[in-house]
Amino acid sequence: MSNIKKASSVNFEKTIMEKVKSNEISMKPRWYFIVGSFSMIGGLIGLCIGVIFLINLTLFLLRQHGPMGQWRLELMLNSFPIWVPILAIAGIALGIWMLKKYDFSYKKHFWFIIAGCIISIFMTASLLDYVGFDDLWFKQGPMRRFYQQIENQNDPLFKEQGRGQMRNRQ
Amino acid sequence: MNDHLKLSDEEIVEIVRTKDREVYAEIIKRYQKKLLRYASYIMGDEEKAADVVQESFIKAYVNLNGFDEKKKFSSWMYRIVHNEAMNLVGKHKKQQGFDEATDYDSGINLEDDLIKKELIRHTQQCLKRMPILYREPLSLFFLEEKSYEEISDILRIPIGTVGTRVNRAKIIMKKICQT
Repeated sequence: MSNIKKASSVNFEKTIMEKVKSNEISMKPRWYFIVGSFSMIGGLIGLCIGVIFLINLTLFLLRQHGPMGQWRLELMLNSFPIWVPILAIAGIALGIWMLKKYDFSYKKHFWFIIAGCIISIFMTASLLDYVGFDDLWFKQGPMRRFYQQIENQNDPLFKEQGRGQMRNRQ
Repeated sequence: MNDHLKLSDEEIVEIVRTKDREVYAEIIKRYQKKLLRYASYIMGDEEKAADVVQESFIKAYVNLNGFDEKKKFSSWMYRIVHNEAMNLVGKHKKQQGFDEATDYDSGINLEDDLIKKELIRHTQQCLKRMPILYREPLSLFFLEEKSYEEISDILRIPIGTVGTRVNRAKIIMKKICQT
């Protein structure tokens, strides 16, 4: 008997309906898909906000550390918290993967969608940097401590003098 | 059960979801031959194709509440088969010989017309030797008679890309069939 005949003789209806009737297989409830859909949207929005924040933080740190001239670049390479841009890139990659899961992604040219997303993220982060949002957060607000920690964690002067003396450094 | 014959796929799905799960048998009846044929084009092996189709019917049933009734059920169903087949192709890539000139005798009745049947048989033989990237859109377009939009929904590629692939596939097909 050829493979074809074997396959054609498979009684899908009987096999599957037996599983359905015996509850061996059951439908996932509707809420499962609703929750999944909302989590996906929420996750994507959260991820975008996170990436914008990390890029903004990277721009802020670049402004504080360099790169301008060789010694600034060296100083930056020694003390720059490299995990911030790495995390931002990982966030972008995750965002692209999530975007691909959406129905609309294949209807348009996906590379345009990706390019549009990345450009808008960078533009938002740059805009926040331009208006001085990060400077404001460095000085006050709930993120002040985080910003100051990131800014000073690898600063040799900060390590030597301690936190209290940092304010009188300049 | 005969009442369901007049209903659209989407209406049947709604009945399965809300009233009577046993009506799912009607979906299986409607799609088993088409899907088996489609899976065979991808897999190049009827036994594996049967596994793919069975698994797809099960997955479709389990995820039936996730189907958006505003969309076409057939595209959704074909998409599931495509995914299942791709998973299996990935697993058996090394074992699978796409270029093998094995005897491929499709016993499936597509049309009554004998000439068309012969033509389809010959096309299937040529299709088997074609890269999967082009084989799928070509079989969906010519043998399953799906529109570009439906193919786009099944393969999740832009409509323009579907057109490009179908056109390229025709050129490749011509070369393969003539040699």
